[in-house]
Order: sequence, then structure tokens, then C-alpha cells
Amino acid sequence: MSMLDGLRLLDGLRFRNISSPIHKIDPRAKFVYVCALFFVAILFNQIIPLLILFLSQVPLVIIARVKKEWLRLIRGSIFFAALIFAMNVISLYFYGGYPSLASIIEHSLAMTLRFIVLVESFSIFFLTTSPDIFGLSLEQMGIPYEFCFAFTTAIRFVPVLAEETQTIMDAQRARGLELESGGFIKRIRNYIPILIPLIVNAIRRSLELAEAMESRAWGASKKRTNLYALKMGGKDYCFIIISIIIILISIYVWLFIKIPSITQIMQL
Amino acid sequence: MAIIRASNLTYTYPFAEKPAFKNVNLEIERGEFVLLTGPSGCGKTTLCRCFNGLIPHFYGGTLEGEIIVAGLKPSEHAIYEMAQHVGFVFQNPENQLFALTVEKDVAFGLENLGLPRDEIRRRVDWALKVTGIYDLKDRAPFELSGGQQQRVAIASVLAMQPEIIVLDEPTSFLDPLSAKSILEVIHRLNRELNITVILVEHRLDLAARYASRVIVMDEGQIILDEEPRKAFLEEKTKMVGVGIPKVVRLYLLLREDGINLSRVPLSPDEAAESIVEVLESDRG
Ligand SMILES: Nc1ncnc2c1ncn2[C@@H]1O[C@H](COP(=O)(O)OP(=O)(O)O)[C@@H](O)[C@H]1O
Ligand SMILES: [Mg+2]
Repeated sequence: MSMLDGLRLLDGLRFRNISSPIHKIDPRAKFVYVCALFFVAILFNQIIPLLILFLSQVPLVIIARVKKEWLRLIRGSIFFAALIFAMNVISLYFYGGYPSLASIIEHSLAMTLRFIVLVESFSIFFLTTSPDIFGLSLEQMGIPYEFCFAFTTAIRFVPVLAEETQTIMDAQRARGLELESGGFIKRIRNYIPILIPLIVNAIRRSLELAEAMESRAWGASKKRTNLYALKMGGKDYCFIIISIIIILISIYVWLFIKIPSITQIMQL
Repeated sequence: MAIIRASNLTYTYPFAEKPAFKNVNLEIERGEFVLLTGPSGCGKTTLCRCFNGLIPHFYGGTLEGEIIVAGLKPSEHAIYEMAQHVGFVFQNPENQLFALTVEKDVAFGLENLGLPRDEIRRRVDWALKVTGIYDLKDRAPFELSGGQQQRVAIASVLAMQPEIIVLDEPTSFLDPLSAKSILEVIHRLNRELNITVILVEHRLDLAARYASRVIVMDEGQIILDEEPRKAFLEEKTKMVGVGIPKVVRLYLLLREDGINLSRVPLSPDEAAESIVEVLESDRG
């Protein structure tokens, strides 16, 4: 995976200004929901509940009208998913006391699915939450403004950096730089002529930004106002209650219901 | 009283061997439209940085002499205090916009000042309307064209209701058409809101017509300070390689041929007017 692919993946996380019922939910409520999904995904390590969890998010994605971006993110995570799968198979084969290859593969698949569910819920959150609003909710939760500002600014500059990287790569290629040649060390060294201008530019850019911030009264008042204010409404509380119900149900299932594995079902 | 007064102002950047400018004396009155020009590296940007306290607070270095801006000594007031009197628009539109929506960007300075929310809303809407970008208020700044971005930058300093706006080559990243419309916006701020404008600009063809005064710098010194119709006739202006407006060159060419226009034109319209005048008086 090259640096540019990494940036593209980040660019996939970029918020797009669409309006949908999910976009309108308070980020704090959505955050509780994502935490609930995380909790459930960590709680279970069998394929069936993880698959149900995965599929149950699909309607949400469709309501939020971010199907394309969401698919791109899932596709982007396939590389890591494959890595996780391979590592699981290898380590379970050598160390785990698993009875058969089939059960090793099933367990590894479950772990991979868990990862994908985590990515999925994470992306639903970021695809439907404007970073500005997210920063604001952090601010309202008492996180220092400087930190929230750094966060939103970083997000704001992802597309700019991606474009700049592309420009520098094109320029260096035009001057004869070959990126994909040579051995491992050589390949890493190939990226130096791209990294240096990128870093120099980034430093210059951040100085200019600092200058512009100062010129617009940065730090003038300890009590900074925000143009927007977040207020939790009935829908948001509903969303939180749904999240809590999801957690309760899964704890119940986890405690009292024995979940069969696919291997067991096949043997029946 | 002058809104900006500098006397014997000399500034040296940290670690620099020689001053970026030396013994600058300058008085600018409220409501003026000052066009500051001169070859690259002559110290225009550095001088502008003194107006809102970026020098000395942000850049350090040694500032000698005296400067008073809007009744304040920038060295004795924090940049955020100066920012309420002096708006600063930078060259690169990309690196002066931080937020993810236009209106949030315009609100940035007011948020920093801690103004009440409805006051911010009122001023943001006003600034967006004055600069003609109200329709873009929910867009992301990075999706906009350079010209639109520069309007956002202007709106965001305008929202702070400064008495002075300093613009450092605001059109150098723009195509001629967007440059023209940005200059028109600046002109309107000066004429309708009586904001003092200090515009650093190389595009004299487009900017000259709006200026009430032209200052030319070279090698850290002010070498010319005149009203525009006189400034471009000076030998010194040509000497430092400031490209005088084409219509002024036309005026000079006609004069060589013995045709005297009634005044030095600063825009094609003015030139056309004067030429028609001459033609009609010939006929008559
Ligand atoms: N941040 C800086 N640090 C040190 N020297 C600088 C800095 N910025 C500009 N200079 C120097 O100060 C002089 C004037 O530059 P500047 O004010 O940027 O000129 P202009 O804006 O007219 O092109 C130049 O010699 C330049 O090298
Ligand atoms: Mg400059």
C-alpha cells in the first residue's frame, strides 16, 4: 500500500455534505451507538452474531445515503482484513488447540468479520458527521478548543495534502523518478524526493496558517463562542436508548443462549 | 489624525544581516486607498506585517522607530487586539481558511473574540452579503475557486469590522477575471464603508483606477509616494521595473506624437473618454 493509497483511504473518510436523518442525529448520540456496536463486536467471537451485526448496519448506510463512500471504505480495508485473516490462521494453526482446520478458518473468519464490523461502524459515524460538528461536540464535552481545532483543521487539509502529494509525485516522475523499482530498501528510498518537498511545504503551510490565525484574533478570549450550538433532542435520546437496548440484548444472548458455530451446524 | 503613522521605521528579521526596510516615513489618512507596489523582495510584505503587529510579535526581530496604527502602538498590543482594527488578507487563499464551511470560516475571528452567538450570526451574514458570497455559505472552502476563496478571506476579515484592511497580493493566484472582481469588491469596501485599504499589487492595469495614492518601494525604501495620475509619469517608477498601466503608456505615446489628453487615464474607459474628447475638439 503506497502513501497515496493511504491518503485516498483517508479521503474516503472525508465528510460529504449530504443531508439524511442519520446526518441530523447528534454526534454524541451517534458516538454512543458506535460504542455499543464496538462493545457487541468485541463481546462475540462467533461468526453468526458478527454477521448479524454486520448486516444490520446496511439499512442504516442506505438511509444515510453514503453507500458508495461506505463501500469504498470497506474495499479499502480489505488489505488489512486479509492480513488479519492470515495472521489468525497461522497463529491458531501453530498455537491454538483447535480440533480441525475448518474450525480454525471459521474462527479466523470471525476475527476478520469483527474487524470489518469495527471499520463499518466507525465509517458510518464519520461519513455522517461533519467534522465541524464533531469538533463542536468534542468542545461541548469539555475537550480544550485547541485540540478540537487541530482535529478539524487536520481533516480540512486532507484533500489539499492528497492533491499536493499527487502533484509532487507527477513532477518527480516527470523528472525521471521511478517509484516502483528496486528492492525493498530502494523502494523506500525512492520516496525521499517526494517526502522532502511534502514536508517543507507542510511546514511553510503551517506557518502561513498560524499567521492567518493570529491575524484573526486567535486566542483573544478565554471564553470562545461557537457559531453553532448542539442540542440533544428527542430523536437523539431515542438513538441512545436503542444503543443501550442493543447492549442489553447482546449481554442476554451472550449469557443465556448457546450460539452454534458454522462447523457444528454443518455437521448436523 | 492619520490612521497609520510610521516615522523612521526600520526593521530587521531575526538572523538577517541587513534590515528588510529602513527609515520608512509614512502617513495614511482614514479612507485612503493606497496601492503599494515595487519589485519582489523590496519589503512590501514586511511593512504590512508591521500594521497588525505580526511584526514584532509573530516574527521577532528588531523594530526601531515609531509606528501608530488606529491610535495603537502594535508592539504594545497583542495581535488579537490589533486584528480588531486591521484586517489582513494574504496571498494564498488556501492557507488562510480553516473551517469546513464558508460561514464557519467567516465566523472564526468573531468566535475568537467571544461575541454573543446572534451577534456573530448577524455580522457573518452581513459580511457574506457585502462580498457577494452569501449563496456559498454552506460550501466547503476547499471546493471553491481561488477567486471565491479570496472573497471568503475578505469576508472573514470584514466581519471583524476593521477600520483598515491590508491585502498582500490578493490576486496573484487568480486569473485576470477573478482578479478584477476581487478588486471591485475591495473598491466597494473602500468607497461604501470608508474602510482604509492598503493593497499590495502588481496588476497595476487592474488596480490603478481604484487607488487614491500609489507608493513604490525599492530595496527597503519608499522611493515614490504620489497620487496615481502623477505617480506613473515619474521616471523612478519605470526605473524599478514597475510595469506602469498600459493606458498610461498609451498616454505617453500619444504625448510624444503631440497629442495631449486632458488627464492621465487609469482605465481603458477613461482613456477612451479622453481620446474621444480630443477627437471631438479636433473636429470642432
Ligand atoms: N520571514 C522572513 N525571515 C527572514 N527574512 C525575510 C522573511 N520574509 C522576508 N524576508 C526578507 O525580507 C526582505 C523583504 O521581503 P518581503 O517583505 O517579503 O518583500 P516583498 O513582499 O516586497 O516581495 C527580503 O530580502 C526577504 O528575503
Ligand atoms: Mg510579498
